[in-house]
Amino acid sequence: MNGESSNPRRRRLIPYALLGPGLIWLLVFFVIPMYFMGELALRSGTLETGFGFSWEFSNFSDALSRYDENFIRSFLYAGIATLIALLIAYPLAYMIAFRAGRWKNALLFVVVAPFFTTYLIRTIAWTTILSDDSFVVETIGSLGLLGGSDRLLATPTAVIAGITYNFLPFMVLPIYASLERIDTRLIEAAKDLYSSAAQAFWRVTLPLSAPGVVAGTLLTFIPAAGDYINVIFLGSSNQSMVGNAIQSLYLSLRDYPTAAALSFMLMAVILALVVIYIRFAGSEALMGDEEEVR
Amino acid sequence: MNQARKTLLAVLGLVAAIGLAACGGDDVGGGSNEEEVTVAESEGEASGDLNISNWPFYIDNKTVGEFEQETGLSVDYNEDVNDNSEFFGKVQPQLQQGESGGRDIMVVTDWMAKKMYDLGYLQDMDQDAIAGAKENLREDLASPEIDPERSYTLPWQTGMAGLVVNTSQASDVTSVNDLFDPQYKGQIEMLSEMRDTVPLVMKADGIDPADATTEDWLDAVEKIRGAVESGQIRKITGNDYTKDLANGDAVAVIGWSGDAVQLQADNPDIQFVMPDEGCILWSDNMVIPVGAPNPTAAYEWMNYVYEPENQAQIANYNYYLTPVQDVQPILEQQGSDAAESDLVFPDDEYTADCSTQTDPPGSAEEVAEVEQEFQSVITG
Repeated sequence: MNGESSNPRRRRLIPYALLGPGLIWLLVFFVIPMYFMGELALRSGTLETGFGFSWEFSNFSDALSRYDENFIRSFLYAGIATLIALLIAYPLAYMIAFRAGRWKNALLFVVVAPFFTTYLIRTIAWTTILSDDSFVVETIGSLGLLGGSDRLLATPTAVIAGITYNFLPFMVLPIYASLERIDTRLIEAAKDLYSSAAQAFWRVTLPLSAPGVVAGTLLTFIPAAGDYINVIFLGSSNQSMVGNAIQSLYLSLRDYPTAAALSFMLMAVILALVVIYIRFAGSEALMGDEEEVR
Repeated sequence: MNQARKTLLAVLGLVAAIGLAACGGDDVGGGSNEEEVTVAESEGEASGDLNISNWPFYIDNKTVGEFEQETGLSVDYNEDVNDNSEFFGKVQPQLQQGESGGRDIMVVTDWMAKKMYDLGYLQDMDQDAIAGAKENLREDLASPEIDPERSYTLPWQTGMAGLVVNTSQASDVTSVNDLFDPQYKGQIEMLSEMRDTVPLVMKADGIDPADATTEDWLDAVEKIRGAVESGQIRKITGNDYTKDLANGDAVAVIGWSGDAVQLQADNPDIQFVMPDEGCILWSDNMVIPVGAPNPTAAYEWMNYVYEPENQAQIANYNYYLTPVQDVQPILEQQGSDAAESDLVFPDDEYTADCSTQTDPPGSAEEVAEVEQEFQSVITG
């Protein structure tokens, strides 16, 4: 007797049962809070008088006009950090995947190792490493790389560097994963067919690793755009990003509706950018078209 | 109906119930002023747990243990207040539901205590239960404007906001105006506590915070904004400024008196400097939130820390102004430097030009406008 086919009704339900926990999680911790945040964004009032629901759409335009600079900075810093992370991560992942040999696991461990310390502590550690009188900053300064200034902290450079550092593993790991499963015989075949090493890279390796690149850039860019920790410790008011504005609105000004509106807009802009990016990069790249690889 | 389906339906039902329950909470914000302020009654012998939320670096590492030993209470002492506004932002949703998050005592600055009280988030104290502590309260603290009869507040410590300076690198900083001197560009920091920073900047321009207008506040905020945008001020921070002073990233800041003494342990050049134009005097208070589970234990704690011997130990550590009388002779007897310190026992002359911390003047909207402008300096 085959247990699986004996009860077709039960069999039909299995996919739903498997989806269940994830769906419930999404509903309780994403959909319901989203609904409340959306509703909050349309309220008006103050904490003292209470926030009444009034279809206050002006919260959105108000938030945008007050915090437009923070928005621009967020996407600028996140974009630059993502690009730098990609330029660092790709060669690194390539090296680990194809050239590391028996050091592969050790190197992967090194990439992940910073995660054993919390995000906050790692960022605070940089404030000591990069403090004005530190060896690092004095060395960079004496090489004339600070451009006339005598400090690194509280500059956009420090904030972008901090974001790049903190999210780098999110870029390395997906790229590594997609490079690692490339069938090296395809590259050999390309060379057999008289392509140069560079041609083989551009026409075989790079396209096959595209899913990793797309996943890595998204995993880096999305959290980076909403980050506020790096600005608090490595930046100053002149670098503050949209996450800092939301924090200030929620915790210091207790203007919950504007904060909710700002959070919504951040989400909407990120979503729009991601959709454009995926259309441009091709969704097969993200999903990884298995057929093509075979 | 089979088992899997039953379970699925049960879970979905639960989710729907949670969703509906959440929908029921239609009010966001708004005080519960209609109800009478309750008195947190003391009930016989204190027992059980006591949960305290206080600021960091505010207590030595012995007092809590000794209190536990003497009373048999178990104390959960949390240093989770870093900034009045942010702490309020964190606890407000609970307080609004009449819950204290398990806290029996919170320590907040005068203006925040009043704001919480007006919103109905605090309870009056059982006056009989703290009669002993109040006998030891410094006379000049007996009836502050925010709470003339000390019915819901009892000071934890009071202190001064002024200049904290690395005297080896910025020895000529003696006024808040010197912080705007271009030679210190990028090495100046100010406190994110608006009611300390803004009045100090006003005083330096000859305006008395006690009769300042909303315009005066806004002008001072603009002056700070200019210095932030030009890079003169490196950062507007909470307690973090201590680290930047210790690192050498900042040489002169607006800071708190007791912090300077703690920093001296590592770097004797760091000093609290009384600004030429005077300081801001503030007062942090113990308050009992609504829903506090064990007020009886809270009173036990208040009476304990108001014993001059116990208070001497705390004052000797944090170097703020002690709110308790007769502490100085005890410290003298112990040969403590604190007994001689202007910061712990300032004479009238030392604080002659100081102002008591106040809210910006005017209606709630005007106060909110000043707060919004100041925050917009911080968020760039």
